[in-house]
Amino acid sequence: MPRIWSMMDIGKRSMANSQTSLQTVAHNIANKDTAGYSRQRVDQVTNEPVGEGRLRIGMGARAATVSRTNNAYLEKQLEREGTTLGFAEGRADLMGRVEQVYNEQTTKGLNQYMGEFFNAFRELSNNPESLAARSMVKESAEFLSKNFQHVTKQLGEIQGDADFRVATKVEEINQLTKEIASLNMKIANVEVTGAPANDERDRRDQLVKDLSQKVNIKYAEGKSGQLTITAGNTAVLVSGSSFCELQCAPTGERADKKEGNFDVFYKSSPDSTPFNVTKQLTGGEIGGLLNVRDEVVNRSLDKLDELAYSLTSEVNRAHMEGFDRYDNTGTMFFNQPATQKGAAQTIAVNKEIREDVGRIAAAGQSAAPGDNRIANIVSALEYKQSLRGGTSTLDDFYSGIVGQIGIETQRANSALESQKDIVSQLKNVRESISGVSLDEETTKMIEFQKAFDASARLIRTADEMMDTVLNLKRL
Amino acid sequence: MRIADKMAYEQVKGSISKNRQQMSELQNQAATQKRVTKPSDDPLAASRVLAHRVDLQGNQQFTKSLGYARSFLEYTDQSLSEVTDALVRAKELAIRQSNDASSGAETRKVVATEVEQLYNSLVQIGNRKLGDRFIFGGYRTQNAPFDVHGNYSGDEGEMLIHVDKDAFLAMNTPGSRVFMGSGFTKDGPKFVSPEQAMTIEEFDGQKLEGHTPNGLPVELRGPASLDPDKQKEQGPGEPVLLQAGSSTADGGVNLFRVLRDFETSLRTNDKGGVQDAMDAIDQAISQVVLTRAQVGSRSTTLDNYVQSKEKEKVEDRIAISNLEDADIYATVSDINKTESTLQATLQTSGKLIQKSLLDFIK
Repeated sequence: MPRIWSMMDIGKRSMANSQTSLQTVAHNIANKDTAGYSRQRVDQVTNEPVGEGRLRIGMGARAATVSRTNNAYLEKQLEREGTTLGFAEGRADLMGRVEQVYNEQTTKGLNQYMGEFFNAFRELSNNPESLAARSMVKESAEFLSKNFQHVTKQLGEIQGDADFRVATKVEEINQLTKEIASLNMKIANVEVTGAPANDERDRRDQLVKDLSQKVNIKYAEGKSGQLTITAGNTAVLVSGSSFCELQCAPTGERADKKEGNFDVFYKSSPDSTPFNVTKQLTGGEIGGLLNVRDEVVNRSLDKLDELAYSLTSEVNRAHMEGFDRYDNTGTMFFNQPATQKGAAQTIAVNKEIREDVGRIAAAGQSAAPGDNRIANIVSALEYKQSLRGGTSTLDDFYSGIVGQIGIETQRANSALESQKDIVSQLKNVRESISGVSLDEETTKMIEFQKAFDASARLIRTADEMMDTVLNLKRL
Repeated sequence: MRIADKMAYEQVKGSISKNRQQMSELQNQAATQKRVTKPSDDPLAASRVLAHRVDLQGNQQFTKSLGYARSFLEYTDQSLSEVTDALVRAKELAIRQSNDASSGAETRKVVATEVEQLYNSLVQIGNRKLGDRFIFGGYRTQNAPFDVHGNYSGDEGEMLIHVDKDAFLAMNTPGSRVFMGSGFTKDGPKFVSPEQAMTIEEFDGQKLEGHTPNGLPVELRGPASLDPDKQKEQGPGEPVLLQAGSSTADGGVNLFRVLRDFETSLRTNDKGGVQDAMDAIDQAISQVVLTRAQVGSRSTTLDNYVQSKEKEKVEDRIAISNLEDADIYATVSDINKTESTLQATLQTSGKLIQKSLLDFIK
C-alpha cells in the first residue's frame, strides 16, 4: 500500500512539476519580445530516495530553481559598446547638421558670397565712376555680412539644440537611475530568500544598458546584488536603493562658451551644492553631443571669427588709404571689430557707406574719379595670403574649414556604422544565448505536456491498483 | 549556433534597412546626378570643388574685366589711328607747302585753316569718351582733359585691370604721354607700368608711389592705415597741369604745339618754319605710332589672357564635374544590383519569418 500511495504522490508532484515547467514556457513565449529578457528554465532535481534495506527507491523529482540563461560578461560588453554607440550616434547626428551649414554643394554659401564680394570690387575697378558698380559693392558686402551672421546663427542654433537634447537626456537618466535604485531594493529583498530575481535582474541589466548608451558609466555589484553606478568619474548616481540626480543649468563659467550653453551638475544630496561634472561626461549620447557642441562648433565659430576679422581688417586697411567719390579720405568699409572674438557675428558694412555708396573709396588719390587702385588692392586681397601668419588665402582658409568638417562628419558616420555592426553582432550573440526560440519552446511544450500526461496516467494506474487492492476481498 | 527568434527578426530588419538605405543613396545620386551632395560624401573632393568654384567665379569676372579692357584698348587704338591720320595729313601739307614752287603766301593761308581744323580734331580726339569716361584723361575721367588751347588737365594715372589671379593689365594711355610727349625718351615711351601684365607681387611692391603726380607716396599697407595723423599729412593729390606751350621734360613732342607752330609758320608764310615743322611732325607721328604699338601689345597680352581664361573656365568645369558628378552608368548598374539584392532579401525574409514548428503541429 505505501508504495501505491508513494506512486500517486510522485505522480502528483510530477504533474505539478510539468505545470511549473509549462508555466515557464508560457512565460518565455510571452516575453519573446521583451527587451533584455533572458529565457528561463526550471531546474529539476531528483528527490531524496528512500532507503529500504538494500534498495534505494527514487522519490520522483522537484523543481529546484527557476534560473535564467544569461552571460554576465556579454552583458557587460554590450553595455560598454553601447556607450561607444551612443557617443557615435550623438556625434554623427549633430555633425550632420554642422555639415549642412557648410554644404555648398547644393546651395549658395559663404564661399560664393565672398567671391561675389571680390568680384564686385573688380567690377568697381573696371568702372570706378559708376554708381551701379558702387551699389553692387555695397549690396554684395551686405549679403556677405548677412551670410557670416547667418552661418554664426545656425551654428549657435545647433549648440542650442544640443543643449536641449542634453537636458532631455539628463531627465531620462534621472528616470533610469530612479528605477534602477528601486530594482536594487527588490533584488536584494528577493534574493535574501535564496531564489534568483530573474526578471528583476533582466530588467535592471536592460536599464543599465540604456543608461550606458546615454552617458559613460562605471558600475559594480555589491554583496547583496545591489549595483553601484557612477557616471563619469565622481558622480555616484545609484548606490543601493538610493539615487542622486543630475541637473542641467546654464553657466557662464567657461570663457569659450556662448550664451545659453548648458552644463551638467551633480548633486550628491538634496542640500549639497551642485557640482559641475560636464567635463567628466565624455561618453554616450551626452558625451557625443557635448563633444560636437563644445569642440567642433566652438572651433568652427572661432575659425569663422578669424576669417571675418581678417577680411574686415584687410579691407578696412586698404579702404582707409583711399579717396571716395567726394575726394574725402576713405573711411572704414566694414565696422572694425574690436576683437577677433565675435567678429563673424558683428560684421556689418559701415553705416556711412550703407547710406551713401559714394563713400566707397576706389581711388588712391583725390580728384581722380577714374583711379581704381584701391579697388584693385581690395580685389587682390582674395588671393593674398593674409591668414594663418601669411600662409593661407581667405578661400584656402574657408575650404579648409569645409574640408575638415567634411572629414570629421565622414569619420563620425563611419564610426557610427561600424559601432552599429559591433553592437548588432553582440546582440546576436546575446540573443543566441538568452533569446527565446519558439521552436525550442514548442518542443519543450510537447515534452512537458507528455510528461504531464504520463504523470496523470501514473496516478490513474495507481488508482486502479488501489481499486484492485480494495476489491481483493470480494473476489 | 542557437538561433533565437529575435535574431531572425533583427537580421531581417537590419538587412532590409541596409538595402533600403543603399537604394535611397543611389536613387539620390541618380536624381541629382551628383556623387557628392554633402562634404562628408567625399571631403577632399568637396573642398577641391569649392576651390574650383572660386576659380571659376573669379575667371568669369576676369573674362568680363578683360572684355571691358578690350573695348577700352580698341577705342584707344582707333582714336590713335585717327591721330596718326591727322598727323600724316599735316605731313603731306607740310611737304607741299615747304617749297615755293607749289605754294605761296595765299595757299599757305588756306592750308593754315586746314591745319587749324586738324588741330581742332586732335583736341576732339583727345577728349574722346567711352561711355561716360574720357579715355585720355588718366584718372581724371570725368572732365575733358584738353581745352581748346591744348592745355592738359588730366593726370598720368594708368588704370590697371585685374585680369588674372596674380596679374594686372593697364588699359588706358594718359593723354599727357601721347599728346604732350611727357614721359618719352629718345628710345620711345617710358611707361610707368610695363605693357606686359604685371604680377601681383609687382603690383603690391609698386604700391602707389611713382603713380602719384606730385611725388606724394600713398602707402597702402602698414600701420599708417590706422593712423589718422598720417592721413592728414598726406593731403589730397594735386592735379597735374601741363601747359600746351611748355616744353616737355623728356624727349617727346607736344602734338598741339607742333601743329600750332606749323599753323603759325603757314600764316606768316615762313618757309623755314614749315620745313622745321616737317621734322617735328615726323617726330610726332613716331610718338603716336610707338604708343599705338604699346596699345597693340597690350591687346595681344589681353587676347592671351582671354584665351587662357576661357580654357581655365572649361578646365574648372571639367574638374568640378569629375569631382562631384556621379558616374551615371555605374549608378544605374548599382541600382539594379541593389534592387535585386533587396528583392532577394524580401523573399528570403518572408520564408525565414513565416515558418516555425507551430505550423506543423496540428
